[in-house]
Amino acid sequence: MTSTNEETKKFQKELNAGTTALVLLGVLGQTSKPMYGYQIAKLIEANTKDIPIMKQGALYPVLRSLESSGLLESEVEPSVSGPPRRYYRITETGRETLERWLEIWDQIKALVDNVMHGGER
Amino acid sequence: MIQSIADYLSQLKKELSGCDRATIQDALSDAEEYLRTALNSVTSIDATISEADALSLIIERYGLPEEVATAYREIEHHITPALAQPSYPDEPEEAKKEKDERSLLSRFFGVFADFRVWGAFLYLLFSLATGILYFTWVVTGISLSAGLLILIIGLPFAGLFILSIRGIGLVEGRIVEALLGIRMPRRPQFHRRNMGLWVRFKNIILDKYTWLSIAYMILQLPLGTIYFSIFITLIVLSLFGIAIPILQLGFDVPININGGSYYLAGWMLPLTVVAGILLATLTMHLAKYVGRMHGALAKVLLVRG
Repeated sequence: MTSTNEETKKFQKELNAGTTALVLLGVLGQTSKPMYGYQIAKLIEANTKDIPIMKQGALYPVLRSLESSGLLESEVEPSVSGPPRRYYRITETGRETLERWLEIWDQIKALVDNVMHGGER
Repeated sequence: MIQSIADYLSQLKKELSGCDRATIQDALSDAEEYLRTALNSVTSIDATISEADALSLIIERYGLPEEVATAYREIEHHITPALAQPSYPDEPEEAKKEKDERSLLSRFFGVFADFRVWGAFLYLLFSLATGILYFTWVVTGISLSAGLLILIIGLPFAGLFILSIRGIGLVEGRIVEALLGIRMPRRPQFHRRNMGLWVRFKNIILDKYTWLSIAYMILQLPLGTIYFSIFITLIVLSLFGIAIPILQLGFDVPININGGSYYLAGWMLPLTVVAGILLATLTMHLAKYVGRMHGALAKVLLVRG
């Protein structure tokens, strides 16, 4: 039983590695106003049913890497309470990339669905 | 048990030791932002909860210092390079540098030492033969297929013909790769076995690349003719230039132009040799560029995008 659990965890982790970036880009692609990390994390949490799929701490490094590859841009603003917050906003390249990623995502989803349901042609 | 945010941050910093300094900085400020905001919102809802209890709930969501550290390490190692799309230079830096350092003169005459140029030259001369072959095959195949379509053997014949197009396309790709040095596919395209013959046939007929291959094979005849005429003319001219002094001085053979025989003055003889060598070198350069062009054409028409 433990070994299948390990496998499930590993699968979850590998899947998350690719989808986190897509989800983050998707979240920021749908709003016009910039968001900071905690907001994004809460929004994603509100959209996950029962058990949280990923640790929210893992979202931040992905945000950083999306920014460094030019898909997001950010600025730091002081907040009334607590430390300054980094607000992220999607760039034009980010929007184009999101569109392509969604196409890939649709293809993968269709592939999994087809394989699992005997895919009719 | 983590008692305070400062506690968490120092543990996170310890977990990240050895990482890039910027990464540590990012991780700490990200964690601080999240933890403080989360703590504020939790204590605003329930003022009686202790900081340690609230933090343990928050960290449950955010991840333990080691989990978060792992996430940053992984991003640092894998995701960034994949997203940054490093550019792959066409040739190794070394070769490029070496090429640039050679003088103009040695680069100009260097084509004779470049086996790729000889390959291109060979390919261009042979393209007349392959062009005639492909053209005949395609024209015969198409007209026979169309003509036989009313008979029962029409469809199988057309199918075989189309298959042969695929096969020839592949073989031509191998020739192009060997002589022109352009990377071409090594394997036939279809692998699916569970398709009926009819579906397979329909797929091939509807495939744009079948028709592009046919277009390539038809084009090969005019192109081959042009290549052959141009290069044969150029090579004959340059060899002639080089041979004039030998013919005139050694064998007493004059130049025959339009029925008249001419002997060249002595000072002109070295010049014809130089002109012949220059023309031969230019011909090789031309072969290099035309070969590259033809390879690009083959790639567009024979290779699936």
